[in-house]
Amino acid sequence: MNRMIRQLTRRSETYVLLIVILFSAFVTAINPAFLTLENLFDLLRSSSGTAILAVGIFLVLLSGGVDVSCTTIAIVGQYISVNVLIRTGIDNIFFMFAISIALGIALGAINAVFVSLFRLPTLIVTLGTSSLYHGAMLEFVGTKAVNVGGLPQSIKTFGTMDVLTLYRPDGTTYGLSVFFVMLVAVLTLTYFILKFTMVGRGIYAVGGNLEAARRAGFNTTKIQFFVYMYAGMLAGIMGVMHLGLIRYSNPNYLVGTELSIIAAVVLGGTRISGGTGTITGTMIGVMLITILEKNLIMIGLSSYWQQFFVGVVLILGVSITYLQAKFQKTGRQIILKEEE
Amino acid sequence: MAEVFLAAKGISKTFVGVKALDNVNLSIGKGEIHCLIGENGSGKSTLIKIIGGVYRADSGTISIDGVEMHGTQAIEAIRAGVQIIYQDLSLFPNLTVAENISVNQMLESNQQTVNWKNVRETARKALEEIGEDIPLDERVENLSVAKKQIIAISRALTQNAKLIIMDEATSAITSEEVAHLFSIILKLKERGIATLFVSHKLGEVFEIAENITILRDGKLVGVYPSQELNEEKLAFIMTGRNLAFEPYRYDPSMKGDTPLLEVKHLAKKSQYRDINFTLHPGEILGIIGLIGSGRTEVVQSVFGLDPADSGEILMDGSVVNITNPRDGMKHGIAFLPEDRLTQGLYEAQSIGDNIVVTILDRFLKKSQLLNVGKKRESEAQWVEKLSIKTPTPDNPVNSLSGGNQQRVVIAKWLATDPKVFILDGPTIGIDIGSKHTIHEIIRGLAREGMGIIMISDEAQEILDNCNRILVMSNGTIIREIEDSTTITRDELLDVIAQRVAVGAEA
Repeated sequence: MNRMIRQLTRRSETYVLLIVILFSAFVTAINPAFLTLENLFDLLRSSSGTAILAVGIFLVLLSGGVDVSCTTIAIVGQYISVNVLIRTGIDNIFFMFAISIALGIALGAINAVFVSLFRLPTLIVTLGTSSLYHGAMLEFVGTKAVNVGGLPQSIKTFGTMDVLTLYRPDGTTYGLSVFFVMLVAVLTLTYFILKFTMVGRGIYAVGGNLEAARRAGFNTTKIQFFVYMYAGMLAGIMGVMHLGLIRYSNPNYLVGTELSIIAAVVLGGTRISGGTGTITGTMIGVMLITILEKNLIMIGLSSYWQQFFVGVVLILGVSITYLQAKFQKTGRQIILKEEE
Repeated sequence: MAEVFLAAKGISKTFVGVKALDNVNLSIGKGEIHCLIGENGSGKSTLIKIIGGVYRADSGTISIDGVEMHGTQAIEAIRAGVQIIYQDLSLFPNLTVAENISVNQMLESNQQTVNWKNVRETARKALEEIGEDIPLDERVENLSVAKKQIIAISRALTQNAKLIIMDEATSAITSEEVAHLFSIILKLKERGIATLFVSHKLGEVFEIAENITILRDGKLVGVYPSQELNEEKLAFIMTGRNLAFEPYRYDPSMKGDTPLLEVKHLAKKSQYRDINFTLHPGEILGIIGLIGSGRTEVVQSVFGLDPADSGEILMDGSVVNITNPRDGMKHGIAFLPEDRLTQGLYEAQSIGDNIVVTILDRFLKKSQLLNVGKKRESEAQWVEKLSIKTPTPDNPVNSLSGGNQQRVVIAKWLATDPKVFILDGPTIGIDIGSKHTIHEIIRGLAREGMGIIMISDEAQEILDNCNRILVMSNGTIIREIEDSTTITRDELLDVIAQRVAVGAEA
């Protein structure tokens, strides 16, 4: 028990979770509407997409890389697939998912070619491909936003679909969005892959020591392809969810938000150098940026403060874990006998 | 000799015109403890990579357990029972002990999913086989190098290893840990598992090896039963030069009245306490002790890195205030750090730039611009003076061998005209030929009147080169040996390990 507590104090996500709890308590004190089931369901609906994207970025970080192209892949998947739906007249959400996911996987595979086969630095590769994917889409597909009037019905239905409906006292309803179910499915699947498959352990191995992974006989090419394609797939899913949520497809949306998602993942205890991190931590990190984003207005601060606070928490979180590691090391060096 | 397990015959290998191996033989019996020794560049790594199936030999045959190997597939050698433990150990720092041990077996069995019960069971069994008890759930990054080595050995055992090849196994662990490693190797031997130590240095491995194969410049020099060799003879065979030399003799007439450096009651919380010593011109003072004894911390404080909390440092009899390396340099102290790569060299920069970095201000013209001509002149001088092997000082410093890099660091500090030169582990990772040259340089400096402090892990190195020795343990000096000729290596080792009563000065 003691050992568990000591381990928890060494992890930055513990502190992030504390901040989340304190902040929630603070917001609730000012505005009791915060801690209601309805608000919670709303938060879950609006953050599930981000959380799914964060899982993709988490996997890439775990494998020792960085992916800044995920948000671009998401918007490319969304914008192309919604345009296909409109132009073909096939008004089917599954069809849209199929297109967006296929695109996501394909673009992820392109990233993997550069990262794994050409062994280029992942940050540069994804910076490059992100710009390339976005530019190509704007040029060849279009720049015109699709507004709610032009949106296929299936997307609107998907966006408001609930798996659990509850009644307010006045008889109107609210519910738990299907988005949350999708998030849970992604989390479960990812957890299973990471914990119980050789590919999943391979991701940890590659992130921990790429050369050793090669020597041990892991197929590192296959593993890196899996990571980037999986992240691309999740981005494709997120693109569709994002449209369902905001009902407006602007090809310039999402791009530029990747850094705050990476920040969330790192806040959740994932090491930027790869090999270490947990899904739970990632979700705690996402919780923090979501709560900051949605509730600063509730306590009377402009939403610009979100960026500010994410920065503060990120630097604090990293400092705490770094200082602890340093302290542990010097503490271990020599223990002098007490002088009488 | 016992039944032969591995027989490599007539192995040759050429890399882009350079003959790395020329008709080399290596034979290891079942359960034999064998040692492959050669200087850097002698071809020993190439040979083990050929045995491990990483490279294909241009000619020659390798047979394992009577079966001739054909492929270049590492997996073929692994299946035949050959496991190579590289110097970096190839472990996953972020994963647990259990997973690190079992990972190869899991990959070998080609399974797609992970059964955590099996993972732990495999690891537990492997550790049990060599009588080790390391918590299965500990992350490998939290373990000492010695423990990591044990993990790597256990992992080799899960693959039914019959021959474990260990590259530079003893270079990063303490002598106690070496003894422990040897006890494990002997256990493996009892079970018929052979071990091949690959090393560029003589030393501990000597005690345990049955036979020694020596390579020089890609050629086989000979195979000797270890009892027929001693270190001196081995060094001669290995380098082709006679390297035996007299211990350093200090000429007491150089001593003078005031010591060059005097340290009084130096203390630093949780690192060392009450440190007193003096250093006279022409002395080579050795400081020895286990890692963590505080030896490095003390000299770092004297130089100004990590200053002491209390105590006095006197240079030429007057108290000086040294709180940072600039102060240290100003008072004529030079410091060669233990890890030359991270602390002593700018790797990507030229040899010349590395040498003059400490004295750049001397080449400043009135206009505050560098006098490039003067700088180059000085660079060339130092390259010549320390016989650094390079066609030009403009070559990057990482193009040099370890021994030559070390000379660059020494040159860099000599350029500052120090009165006191502190060398922490001056020959770590340097092969025997270069080591000898560096010792000669150090002795030369002392003879010219410089005061030298030398820290080393190797008792022999300290005995050969220092006229006076301080032994540290737990942050204090436990013994001062006034004349190093009055103590033998074994006695010194006993003092370090505190196996004898402290203070029983001979």
